[in-house]
Amino acid sequence: MEHRRVNTMTDIRGPYHMRPPIMTVKVEDSMDIMIVRDTTRRASSLLGFAPAHRAQLSSAAATLAELVLKTGESHTIHLNGVIDGARTGLQISSETPWLAGVSANNVLVALRSKLGDLVDEIMLEGHDVPIIIMVMWLNEVKSPEALDGE
Amino acid sequence: MALEVLLVEDSKTQAAQIKETLESVGLRVRIAYDGPDGIREAIENPPALVVLDVKLPSMDGFQVCRRLKRNPSTQDIPVIMLTEKAGPQATMSGLRAGADDYIPKDIFASEHLINTLQELGILE
Repeated sequence: MEHRRVNTMTDIRGPYHMRPPIMTVKVEDSMDIMIVRDTTRRASSLLGFAPAHRAQLSSAAATLAELVLKTGESHTIHLNGVIDGARTGLQISSETPWLAGVSANNVLVALRSKLGDLVDEIMLEGHDVPIIIMVMWLNEVKSPEALDGE
Repeated sequence: MALEVLLVEDSKTQAAQIKETLESVGLRVRIAYDGPDGIREAIENPPALVVLDVKLPSMDGFQVCRRLKRNPSTQDIPVIMLTEKAGPQATMSGLRAGADDYIPKDIFASEHLINTLQELGILE
């Protein structure tokens, strides 16, 4: 039996403490991009994100899924809650072994150019198997005016 | 009395499908087939919600949303953009135009639309 979506706490990294929900989507074909988008909306809903922020997060996750799909190999998108002091957020991450040896700075510039408006933080962790990590915080005020200023 | 939704969608086929979804949860639906008509309808008879496509003839959904959000008589009406343009730039354009949600037209669209209607208090 094939499991396209499983919950697991393995292989998730990042600088923040993890909290539920913890969801994982394996990305193998273009249909999985829709599943990533849907799962991200569900995860962000569980954390209490407003619809507009769910839209941002699901677009960021889907874009990351499209990126990993272009490598031609199956990869996994991890979605998990994170805590940093009083802040709660949603982390979206994926291992990107094809970026090993590529300048982290160049990767971050490219990612921020494409996705920087959608999330609060974009990081690249690890050397041998780099992981792209994106976080949006729930507790930071994001008004339409704040969006305009980004 | 059921709340009324103004659906701005140029495709008659898609308008019929979205109308069916909205009516299935007890809402009444009025349809405008282009942006200027949608704005006129919203001003003359303000609905409880606007569901707005992006690709529209003569004026796109982003422009329609901005105009609705700048008009004091329509600025408080929630707007959900329901669209085939799903990329990061389009998403941010929709949200910056003032949309309350931006939902890609995929197989989960109806479910996400209904969830958002509940969240916005349009549905109990």
